[in-house]
Amino acid sequence: MVAQARIAIRDFDDPTYDPFAADEVNFGDHLDPYPQIARWRDQAPVIKGAYRPEMGLAAALMPDRENFIIVGTSEINTVLTDTSRFSNAAYKFNLGVTFGQGSISTMDNPDHGRWRKIFQKIFLPQYVSTWGETIVDPVVRDLMGKFLERGHADLIEEFTLRYPFEVIYRQLDLPQSDVRTFQRLAIGQTDYVNYEKAIEAGVKLGAYFKDLVAERRARPGDDLVSLLALTSVDGDYLPEEILISFLRQLMNAAGDTTYRGTSVLLTALLENPDQLEALRANRSLIPQAIEEALRWDGPVAVQLRMATCDTQLAGVDIPAGSLLDVVAGAANRDPALYPDPDRFNIFRDRKPHFSFSRGPHICVGQHLARVEMTRALHAVLDHLPGLRPDPDKPRAEIRGSMMRVPHHLYVRFGD
Amino acid sequence: MPTISVTTRDGRAVPVIAEVGRSLMEAIRGAGIDDLMALCGGSCSCATCHVKVDAMHAHLLSPASEYENDLLDSSSHRDGTSRLSCQITVSAELDGLRVTIAPED
Repeated sequence: MVAQARIAIRDFDDPTYDPFAADEVNFGDHLDPYPQIARWRDQAPVIKGAYRPEMGLAAALMPDRENFIIVGTSEINTVLTDTSRFSNAAYKFNLGVTFGQGSISTMDNPDHGRWRKIFQKIFLPQYVSTWGETIVDPVVRDLMGKFLERGHADLIEEFTLRYPFEVIYRQLDLPQSDVRTFQRLAIGQTDYVNYEKAIEAGVKLGAYFKDLVAERRARPGDDLVSLLALTSVDGDYLPEEILISFLRQLMNAAGDTTYRGTSVLLTALLENPDQLEALRANRSLIPQAIEEALRWDGPVAVQLRMATCDTQLAGVDIPAGSLLDVVAGAANRDPALYPDPDRFNIFRDRKPHFSFSRGPHICVGQHLARVEMTRALHAVLDHLPGLRPDPDKPRAEIRGSMMRVPHHLYVRFGD
Repeated sequence: MPTISVTTRDGRAVPVIAEVGRSLMEAIRGAGIDDLMALCGGSCSCATCHVKVDAMHAHLLSPASEYENDLLDSSSHRDGTSRLSCQITVSAELDGLRVTIAPED
């Protein structure tokens, strides 16, 4: 306890800055970007231009390069898997600046694979499934306990926006007094439109994590920081830049995405009560409901790559150094792959979606995300009988063009 | 080029002519068998190219690395004959090899 008191977490210099308000300006507030994406797909698989300005979003930390928007499914697959031509170095301009250039998202193989394997192992299903009971269930129970008696709630504000972050705080065993500032910094890290704030957040979170790592090396617990701090490679600890970058990225990669994915899942089920009822009658449908929500409106609509050489894609010349916006949301709604693609349908033929990406950077945390979403959905089915949209409140609206989420989901239950 | 017999999830045995030096995953995908998903593109980062190798031929393959082993452990269909096909390099000795695509997890 004495040792923990020495670790100080420093908030933004400007205490009035609200990182949570930056969501719309960074990730958009579009109700439905899919018609525009469908128009692009009808036009060509590779479109000249950049996704952000085309969607009316402000520039965010990227250099002036030629830009292409990739919407054809086959081309999307190619860009994500052909690492001889398409590099993750594009993320050095944004993620690398705030999370640190040790973020494996900014690397290509073989460097990427060398570090990824270490993180990948921790997040394999056989390991994360135990967190379902020890960490996720208690978090979910605590949060639901606060509104169960009331008979109505905002499932976003009171549940989905909180549980994945609470899971991370418990995984990291953060002191409760640090949590609020920690979350402000973690969210602020991706405020690329106000990039000086994103950088400030990265610096302050980095300093905090360095102290935390030193403390856990001295007094290890059974938390994730201790595990990573003590992990050795070739007889030495993980390089500081790799370790600190990973910890910085964790809130965004594991918290923010799961919050969005679970919010979309619950919204889609409430909008389709027949499918919610089918789940109540048969819980073995849960995995396909989760995969369908991830396909229908995945949290991360766009990924970024850079051309490493002058090349061609679908007959379009792509100069070396060009930035490519790879629209996972386009492949996920490709009518050739998913008939009637705009319809949420948990009974459709199961085909893998693109929401965890493809290729060597396929989401390391995907198995944990599934465990968390599964536990959340079980809890909803267990504890919220008669769940339905609150007729006295506005309907949920999923918004965003880069990242998607509904900001409210007002429900009634139990009567 | 060696020919490998690949049994698909619907039980068809498909002869696949495989190029020496490429991965077995690439050979199977290249033959148009897409129930082998290989979502990570062959970088030993998922477990969606899981196959069962006929025990008769298992000795021809180099053993699985620690990372492949961990990934295989994530499948509920793993048994002693399980391998990730992206980690098997096709060689002339593999002519006549028989593999079965593992059930989906």
